Amino acid sequence: MKKSTMIILGVVAVIILVIAMFAGSYNSLVDKNEKVDKEYANISVQLERRADLIPNLVNTVKGYMEHEETIINSITEARQNLLNANSVEEESKANNQLTDSLNALMLVVENYPDLKANQNFIQLSDELAGTENRIATARRDYNEVATDYNTAIKKFPTNLLASMFGFEKKTYFEVSEGKNEVPNVEF
Amino acid sequence: MLNSKIKKSYFFFVFLLTLFLPISVCAMDTVSPTDEFYINDYADILSTETEEYIMSHSSALNQETKAQIVVVTIPSLEGNSLEEYATTLFRKFGIGDSDENNGLLLLLALEERQMRVEVGYGLEGILPDAKTGRMQDTYMIPYLKEDNFDEGILNGYKAFFQEVASYYDFSGEIEQPVEEENSDDDAFIFIFFLLEFGMLAFFIYLIFYNRNGRGRGMSVGGSFSSFGGGSSFSRGSSFGGFSGGGGSSGGGGSSRGF
Repeated sequence: MKKSTMIILGVVAVIILVIAMFAGSYNSLVDKNEKVDKEYANISVQLERRADLIPNLVNTVKGYMEHEETIINSITEARQNLLNANSVEEESKANNQLTDSLNALMLVVENYPDLKANQNFIQLSDELAGTENRIATARRDYNEVATDYNTAIKKFPTNLLASMFGFEKKTYFEVSEGKNEVPNVEF
Repeated sequence: MLNSKIKKSYFFFVFLLTLFLPISVCAMDTVSPTDEFYINDYADILSTETEEYIMSHSSALNQETKAQIVVVTIPSLEGNSLEEYATTLFRKFGIGDSDENNGLLLLLALEERQMRVEVGYGLEGILPDAKTGRMQDTYMIPYLKEDNFDEGILNGYKAFFQEVASYYDFSGEIEQPVEEENSDDDAFIFIFFLLEFGMLAFFIYLIFYNRNGRGRGMSVGGSFSSFGGGSSFSRGSSFGGFSGGGGSSGGGGSSRGF
């Protein structure tokens, strides 16, 4: 009799152990998911801030630049795309588009010394640069926790839980490829 | 048989390597904090007086408010972007309190001739990006442009210290930073002229008065107020115990070339 109770106890212990293990990894998965969401919210806040700054910039710039409509329109368009985006992929794409058109603007600004010296413009550029840098920082933080999360849902035994409870792979926030290259402009 | 054994151990070795790889790839290499923490003059461009000034003021500020102002100069960014370097360094140092994130970093890269002021989350309210940019333009860049790094850093430090100190109602004694940028305001210029005349008279007086003594160097562009005085803070007796409070930054601030 004693032997059988031992066996039962043993089985129960193993079951409890397995449940505890799964519960532990389930909880850590939830934590990781939470972290990714938090960092993503950070990006969203900064993207919104960036979009909010654009109309002011466009208004300031318009008064000085009469012949740069293409650039100004591309900025407005990129901003609209950013506001309409509703997935990480679309957002990163629209954000990169906006970066490119802003870079193009900053290049031609060199030809407008009055604009360059305008206090309002300097302030807006600082705010924009600051926001861009915050986006870059938030993007790095987000990708870091997303990598952590994506690795976790692939590993055993978390992968079982992940498929069971529908934890999906997170999309990374990409940077445009030619980010550090200065676009060619001919004068 | 032997071959497969070698293969196995090879794979194991590679596996081990991959375990360590992510760590070394992720962390960008920045300089480490010195024992003095608030002052890290790796480019060797600051005078001893400036360093002592910054040390005593920053440590007093930290004691009272937990806010930390750190100055870092580096010889070169070695191909890194100034912004990423600054944020990485800010977090590595842990500038500011871990709850309040009230840190501030002044980073100068000598070779690239770039300057960045990076603001911790907690100070972004009083020091928005545009303001930090304007303060750099006013208090630092004019000096840095003329290779007057020591004075540029010190003057900028005073300006930023004032902002942080007044936010916390901290009564740290600091000299007024010098405003270099010309204002369009005529009245201001007039007052400025009066001050200049006053200063000139004062210097002439000093020169005659101190003819035989060790007259102070004619540092035109020095502070208008509080001649003498100096800082009332002595270096803490427990020197070497300075470190970051674990604060973080989200990349706020502004950058300038000079």
